[in-house]
This record gives sequence, C-alpha cells and structure tokens, in this order.
Amino acid sequence: MKRKLLLTALALTLVLLAGTAYAAYPDKPIKVVNYVGPGGLMDVTSRKFVSIAKKFTDATFVVENKEGAGGLVAMQAVLEQPADGYTVFAATTSVIPKVLTSKKSVDELVWGFEWVAMLMKDPEAIIAASGTPLNTWEAIAKNALEKKGSQIWTGPAAGGNDHLMAMKVWAKSGIEAKWIPYSTGPEAMMGLLSGQGVAYVGNPADIGGREGFTIVAIASPERSKVFPDAPTFTELGIEGLEDEVMWRGFAMKKASPEEAMVWWEDLLKKVAADPEWREFLEKDGIEVVDYGREKFTAQIKKDIEDAETYLKKYGMIK
Amino acid sequence: METLSHLYDGLSLLMGFTPLVVILAGVIVGILAGAMPGISPSMAVALLLPFSFGMSPSMGIVLLCSIYLASNYGGSITAVMINTPGTPSAVVTAFDGYPLTRKGQAGTALGVSLIASVVGGFVGIIILVLFSAPLARMALKFWPAEYFALAILGLSTIASLGGGRWLESFIAVMLGLLLNTIGLDPLSGVSRYTFDFIRLYDGFSFIPVLIGLFALSEVFMGIESGEVNRPPVLPEREKSPWPTLRDYFKLKFAMLRAGVVGTVIGVFPGAGGTIASFIAYDIEKRLNSDPDSFGKGNPFGVAAAEASNSSSVGGALVPLLTLGIPGSSSAAVLIGALMIHNLQPGPELFTKHPEIVYTLFSSLFVANIFLLFLGLLGARLWIKAALIPKRLLYPMIFAFSFIGSYAVRSSVFDVGVCLAFGLLGWMLVRSKFPVSPIVLGMILGTMIEKNLRATLMMGGPALFLQRPLSLVLLALAFASGVIPYLRERKRKKALRKS
Repeated sequence: MKRKLLLTALALTLVLLAGTAYAAYPDKPIKVVNYVGPGGLMDVTSRKFVSIAKKFTDATFVVENKEGAGGLVAMQAVLEQPADGYTVFAATTSVIPKVLTSKKSVDELVWGFEWVAMLMKDPEAIIAASGTPLNTWEAIAKNALEKKGSQIWTGPAAGGNDHLMAMKVWAKSGIEAKWIPYSTGPEAMMGLLSGQGVAYVGNPADIGGREGFTIVAIASPERSKVFPDAPTFTELGIEGLEDEVMWRGFAMKKASPEEAMVWWEDLLKKVAADPEWREFLEKDGIEVVDYGREKFTAQIKKDIEDAETYLKKYGMIK
Repeated sequence: METLSHLYDGLSLLMGFTPLVVILAGVIVGILAGAMPGISPSMAVALLLPFSFGMSPSMGIVLLCSIYLASNYGGSITAVMINTPGTPSAVVTAFDGYPLTRKGQAGTALGVSLIASVVGGFVGIIILVLFSAPLARMALKFWPAEYFALAILGLSTIASLGGGRWLESFIAVMLGLLLNTIGLDPLSGVSRYTFDFIRLYDGFSFIPVLIGLFALSEVFMGIESGEVNRPPVLPEREKSPWPTLRDYFKLKFAMLRAGVVGTVIGVFPGAGGTIASFIAYDIEKRLNSDPDSFGKGNPFGVAAAEASNSSSVGGALVPLLTLGIPGSSSAAVLIGALMIHNLQPGPELFTKHPEIVYTLFSSLFVANIFLLFLGLLGARLWIKAALIPKRLLYPMIFAFSFIGSYAVRSSVFDVGVCLAFGLLGWMLVRSKFPVSPIVLGMILGTMIEKNLRATLMMGGPALFLQRPLSLVLLALAFASGVIPYLRERKRKKALRKS
C-alpha cells in the first residue's frame, strides 16, 4: 500500500515537473518595451505588429513605453528583468550609435541582448526641398564643393542614425558639410522648407503626405517601387551605399529560453507574410523582412562597425 | 463659404449618439487627466491613444482632440486650488489663481479660468480654420535666429514676473538656465554633468521639478508657518462665490488678446502653450492700470494665462494639418494616431480625407461647448477643495506630488527630484526669491542654447541682426526687459525727492 502511494506521488511529481518544464511559451503576458513615447515611430510599429500577431497567437502582449536617453533607459530596464523571454525590447537602428556615443559598454548593452526578430529595412534617403535649384544630387554635391564645408545638412539627433548616414555620404562622395540637428525629424524638414539647410537625411516615407520635398538619392540596391523617381547612390556613381537602412526589430535578454526565441522567430515569419502588415510598411517604400537571430546579429555587427568608423572619423568618439 | 459648408458637413457627422458620447468621454478624461499633476496633455492623449485604434479614424481623432483641448483646462484647477499646476502651461495660471483662492475668492479664480479657457479655445479654433495657410507660411519664416529671439522675448518677461525684485529674479532665471545644461548637449550629443547616470541624460524631467517648486514648497511653507493648523479660508461672498456675467465681460479684451497670442505662438513647434502663457500674462500686466496687483490675485492674470494656453491647441494644429509637422508634443501623438490608421498627416489630408479634417474642426467646437458645461458643473465640486482642512490637504498634496512625479517616466529618481526641488523651492521662497523665473529658465534654456548655436553655425552672430523678424523680436525683448526697470528707478527717484 505504502509503495503504491509512493509510486503515485512520484508519478504525480514527475507529471508536475514535466508540466512546468514544457509549459508552452508564452503562458503569461509578454511585455514589449519601447524606448519612444506613445505615437512615436517604433511605438506605432510595435502596436501594429502586436495587433497583427493576434491573428496567429492567443498570447497577450502589453506594449510599454520607457522613454529616455535615446533608448538607454529602456535597454537598461529590460536588462534588469529576468531572462525569461517575457520582456522584449523594441529597438531601431538608432540605439546602436546611441550606446557608442554615450560611452556605455557595447558588450553590456548591445550584446546583453539576443537580437531575435528584425522586421524591416527602411532605406536611408537624402531629401531636398523641390522648390530650390539644389534639388538634385549633382547640384547639392557641386554646391557643397563650392561652399567648402559650410553647406548645411539637417536631421534629428546629433550622432544618431541619420547623422551617421550623412557622414557616410560625405566620406564616400568626397564632400564636406555641417550637420545641424533639430529636436525631431519633422522640425528638421520644416527647416529645409524654409531654406535653413540644403539636405535632410531620413527615410523615403518622410516625404509622404508633405508637399515640397524631393528624394535626391536613396540607399537601396534598386529604385523604390513607391518612389520610382528617386535615383539610387549606385546610379549616381557613389559606391558602398547600396544597403544603408533603418531597421526596426525586437530583442530579448541574453540567455532567455531557446523556446521563447524560436517562438518569436516563427511569429515574425507569419506576421511578415500577412498582407495587412505588408501593406502597412510597403506603402511607405519599406522592405518587409523576417530576419531571425543569425541575420539580425550580422546586421547589428555591421552597424557597430560602421558607427565606430564614422563617429571616430568625424570626431564624435575617441 | 466653402469652409462653412464643409464645417456644416463635419458638424452633421457629429450629431449622433456615438460621436457625442466620444466627445463627452474625451472632455471628462481630459479635465481629470489635466488636473492630475504629472499627467501633461500629451500624456493624457497618449494614454488614450490605444483606445482610438479600435475606432474609425475620425472618431479616434475626435476622441484625442477632445482630450487634448480639455486637459489644457484641467491643469488650471489644481493650479488655482492648491498651487499645483496640473500641466506645465498652468504654471502662469497659478500666479494669480492661487492668491485669489487664498483670499477666499476661489470661485472667481475657477470661473475666470474656465471661461477664459473656453474663449481662448474658440479663438484658437477659429484662427485655425480661417488662417491656417498664412500662419503656416509665417512659421516657415522662422529660422533658429527667430526662435532664439522669441525665447529671449519670453525670458524678458521675468522683468515683470519678479514684482520688482530684479536681482532675485535674475539669479532665479540663471539657476533655471544653468539647470538646463545638465544632460546631453543638444548639438553635439556630448553628455554634460550627468556623471554617467543614465537618468540624467535628458536633464531633469520638467514635471517633477514643477511640482516640487510649486506644490511641495507651499506645503513646507505651510507647515513652517503654522498655517497647517489654521481653519480653511471660507469663500468671502455671502450670496454666491461665482463671478457674474458682468465680471466676465470686463475681461473680454484680455481673453481675446491672450487667445490670439496663444494661437500664434502655438503655431511654432517647440514654443507652445507654456511660453505663450508667460508672454500673454506679461502683456496683460503691462496694459493693466494696476500692474502691482498681478501676482497677488488679479483675475486679468488668470484670464490671460488660461486663454493663451487653451488657444495654443488650435495653433499647434496649424503646422500639423498644413505641413504634417506637429506644433506640440500632444500634436505629435496625434500624428501617431493618424499613422496607425494609415493616414498621412499633412496637406494631403485636406485633399484625400477632407471629412476627417472638418470632423476634427467641428469636434473642437463641440468639445469646447461640452467643456464649458462640464467645467461649470465640476467647479461646484472643485471649490469644495477650499474647505478641506490643511491638515488633510497637505498629506494629499504630498501623495499626489509623488505619484505624479513617478508617473512621468515610471522612475523613482524623479520622485527624488521632486522632493529635492520642493526643498529648494521652500528655501528660495523663505529668502524671498521668486520661483517662477526658474521654471521659465528651464523651459527656455534648451530653446535658447540650441537656436543660438544653430544660428552661429549657419551664418554667425550677424544673422540675428540681418533677419528682420529676429531683429524686431530682439528689440521687443530688450525693451520689455529694460523699460520696467527704468520706470521703477524713475519712480524710486521721484519718491526720494518728494
């Protein structure tokens, strides 16, 4: 009798243990932590992603906003949580140069994460005001040479992704210019319209819905289907700028369960194939991708390398 | 004429059960959120943003705009009743609103702030509907040189804010400007005085500073002076504590002037309602026959502050609708709301989805009317706050201050900031230093620094004088900073002679 009881107890324990070990991820709500405020680009993207993901999973997502220090606050907040896959960081390209310019440890902040899902590639673009004579790349480049370094380029945040792109363009095309950062991209565009700067660095979608702007060069391998008039850098004879993008994606703390990471990779594959998701991004000339850990990590490595090279070259880091 | 018929169409779309309930809900949420210290209009709009996703694009925008409009008023309630501006733009409302309450005229303060909000709101919307195109063209004339000059004009208002205490005001505004240098350099991204502490990268969060300086310092003063044990001041007027229609009518020009100032300044991204209210208040004080009563409970001060910050809502929507560029942080959240519905903010909205634009316009009119009635109903309730004994009120202010500070960025550090600035505010008030110049310095510091340096990069110091608008604004700033000082000196001289 005793033996029977013992066996039953043992069996029960095993079942329970197995239950915990194999409880399918996710069995509780997943927090998606944004570094921008509600209504910001990545916030809108996260919310759209989550609303489409609900077609494929019963999981509950909670989109949170932890603003501050260009993403460093959110990164730290996520890294302080347990590595259980239930807290996900919603990132964009901009956080990489941010970590570098803030002199925080790349190993700790960037490689403290496993980069699990890259959602898209938004090509970088140089934008000019259509109403001025300087509305082609040739005119801008010629004017820059004449001005000997005093031509003004605008965009958001100093040392951010767009500033970095400007540095790359200057280096690869052999021109010099000054970068004047504005609080936000739209304010910088307004500055362009009022003649404060000659070129704005951003993404093609920035000109959508606004009048008076022309894309003078786009950093993608081929012309955009949505903005077919914009020439690529390769067409303009500038090499090495055929794949400069702003990406958006999700990362989780290193050493999170393999199961959780695989689940996110699978989910991204499903969402990336969804017509509503594609329409949401493709209408803005953004390429939808479904990169998992391997390809996303390769992108991050390239970003770090690029940021180090150019931020050093232009004296923003030592 | 075409605009009128579009507006009529927009209005008829709103005349149903659901739209009216949406506006009503938006106005109620807005008032309450605005009144909560720590929840700014942009946060209120952002908090309700997810609710708008499930609605039709027009209803979603109607909801958010109603919240935006109402929260700008809501901030004045706590400013008037407990000297705790619920929103940054209500700081100026507290200057005269709270002294009125202390004198037992809370009804006047509440009534005037509501009516001024509604009148200012209407002025802003009317200007938005009629003049958005020329205003947008004017906004494009603004270069960093003009933004710098505008900020200096804003700064020059301290000459009248300090009530004759020039040196103290000057030191306080300098303190505000210096505090602003903490954080990342706006042009080069280098970190300054952050001690590698990530929370300081963006500098001090504005709301905890504001709550500390105004609300907590008041509590500390009250405890020190023994006011905490005194019975509350009961409303003076026996029959009714509320202003009469004639009282409101006397303020008509003040409200209209402030409304126009608020709308125009609201158009410029980065300037916004707070600067507008400082400037409008300053103008009113100069025009008033009894400028010395400002800061001691003059209804004209309350009217100017509230009318200008409410009218800035209309102003902030001008660049949003004409250029696709948000005029304020709340307008930036509206852009996000449009994007999630696959709508492009900007001039295209007028051509592709005119129904949304005109529903938005009409909803602002309707929301403003709802605000009037809900505000009148609510004021009957808010005024009771004047009856709460200080022994109960102070702990409540303390609790709300901490919650509000925490809510901004979910950060305990900000609670500490609030407490520290509370102590600083208390020490300053005891030593007869005005605290409002600190706030002004902190609001304008970044704007001044960024635009000064951008102008120098663009064309050197000569640019300030070569650009006519910048020159005019700088001259105005100079005059408004120096004239009160000279006048005061003359007066003192005359006094000495006699």
